[in-house]
Amino acid sequence: MYNLQIRGKHIHGDKSLGRISTDIIAPIDDKTPLWWSAAFVVSLGLFGWGIYSMYITVTQGIGTWGVNNTVGWGWAIINFVWWIGIGHAGTAFSIFLLILRQTWRTAINRAAEAMTVVAVGCAALFPLLHMGRPWLFFFIFPYPNTRGPLWVNFNSPLFWDFVAISAYLLISASFWYFGMVPDFATIRDTTKSKVKKAVYGFFSFGWTGSSKQWLRFEALSFVLGGIAAVLVVSVHSIVSTDFAVSVEPGWHTTIFPPYFVVGAIFSGFAMVLTLVALMRKLYKMEDFITDSHVDAVCRVLIFISLIMGTAYLTEIFMAWYSGSTYEMYTFFRNRIFGEYAFQFWAMFICNAIIPQLFWFKSVRSRLWIVFIISILINIGMWFERFNIVVTSLSKNYIPANWASYSPTIIEIGLFVGTLGMFSAGVLLFFRYIPMIAISEIKSVSKYDKEPDLTQFLSHETQKNQAKH
Amino acid sequence: MNKYMVGVFNDEFDLVKAFDQVKASGNRIDEVFTPYPIHEVIVKMGKRTRISHAAFFYGVFGAASLLGFMYFASVISWPLNFGGKPTNAFPSFLVVTIVGTILIVTILTLLTFSIRAKIFPGKKADIVDLRATNDKFILVVDSNVPGFQPDKVEKLLKDNGASEVYLNVESPAKL
Repeated sequence: MYNLQIRGKHIHGDKSLGRISTDIIAPIDDKTPLWWSAAFVVSLGLFGWGIYSMYITVTQGIGTWGVNNTVGWGWAIINFVWWIGIGHAGTAFSIFLLILRQTWRTAINRAAEAMTVVAVGCAALFPLLHMGRPWLFFFIFPYPNTRGPLWVNFNSPLFWDFVAISAYLLISASFWYFGMVPDFATIRDTTKSKVKKAVYGFFSFGWTGSSKQWLRFEALSFVLGGIAAVLVVSVHSIVSTDFAVSVEPGWHTTIFPPYFVVGAIFSGFAMVLTLVALMRKLYKMEDFITDSHVDAVCRVLIFISLIMGTAYLTEIFMAWYSGSTYEMYTFFRNRIFGEYAFQFWAMFICNAIIPQLFWFKSVRSRLWIVFIISILINIGMWFERFNIVVTSLSKNYIPANWASYSPTIIEIGLFVGTLGMFSAGVLLFFRYIPMIAISEIKSVSKYDKEPDLTQFLSHETQKNQAKH
Repeated sequence: MNKYMVGVFNDEFDLVKAFDQVKASGNRIDEVFTPYPIHEVIVKMGKRTRISHAAFFYGVFGAASLLGFMYFASVISWPLNFGGKPTNAFPSFLVVTIVGTILIVTILTLLTFSIRAKIFPGKKADIVDLRATNDKFILVVDSNVPGFQPDKVEKLLKDNGASEVYLNVESPAKL
């Protein structure tokens, strides 16, 4: 099932089980490093700018943004879709790779799930703020009210979106948390600090590791993994219907759901790669996140990048093949050679061309190049959402409607604020939560021993070997 | 007070070997504590779980109640005309039904798990050996059975690679 010759070892350095625990818990037990404090202060500063922009948005209204009647969706929706996309890595990693029996996921899935929870939290802010009056947010819940009762529109993709995002946030957070319970118990039972014993003891839910608990724990992961696999596909498909159900040129296509899902997994994996590179360098996790892990993620990215390239070309081909003037205008005169050519080519080069460098082993094995490419992919994915949201809206069927869009400092502040929120969340995760799933990686460490293949040999070969 | 004989192992394979032999010698194994799930032991302990059955019924319940609620809200309680579409717009109700069902199944299954595995925030762990969540595999043999021979079981555990064997008065049966 797992081939050492192809993939390499899960854990380098022949670590004992006890050593695995101490090595992974080390960042929690050590003193706070200086770089951590500095990075945390910077993140909080960026988040502060975001809070200020939120304050201005809420007190003065959406007029402080650059959006207008024509381009009604600007950076807010771009950022929303971008963050949700990044948030797809957690479930994709934990669940798709679980179903495909990829044991190497155990070193990465915890970080990917943490990233998911923070990223979906960032994403959820944008539709909330775009409402203009966020305090009336509860109107979206179908509750018996005094206005009729007037229910919400169950046929609206915007309502589907609300259901999908809230469900995704709750489910990925609980999946992440329950995966951590055995690891909190490990910290509780190994730490010498009384405070940590009490805190992690509280969060470890009285976990003992008895066979009865493991039996139910396994059944739970099985059930949650099985049903959450649907979410990997459904959440971004639903986000894509926000666009595909409307009749704007460039939006009204059936390619959107798969195109969005693949794009989401693409940006999620790229962000995981960014984080993993940081974990390796800053926390010296080279023994757990080996070259072979980075290599595996890069290979997945080549594959997804090819799908992305195919999707871009399919869209362009269909615009031409449809013979529709509006589609052709949007793709050729507005995106490829028009006002938004820079955004189009940034998207195309970063997502479809640059990741092809991963075909070369010399690129995959240089962590700093991998790190840079992973960031370029995320920039490219941001431009993809810009392309979709802004170009179609800015020039639709009636030229009298046409308008350009550029963001204001408040919109930029909101985006930078979520970047700060994300990095602060990730830093807290690095500092206080075991960043690798301890119990899961222990369970695969046994595969690192050289497999005993004698049972597969014929009796004669065994006899011959015994003679020699 | 009940007494238990505790065998501490360094290796999952030794534990499985000892487990089989202790069982074959006619002794009762009370519980096994391991840092990660070991399927062989879980199966041989003979316990079964019906969490997946429960999850299936939660799913049926969730889907039926969501569809029922949307039918009630859009057909019975306050029918609204959205561009002449039928008020019972079944295909577009499916999206909310699928996602909502997944949410309901997740929450109810987690609750079921917490209740059945008896874990909740702040619970004090009744632990036999603190090293069980770190790097040791703990086999707890019931020593209250009539005819229990401590020396024999101790030898059996040690022969199969137990690094330590001791008697524990705590009762892990409650776990």
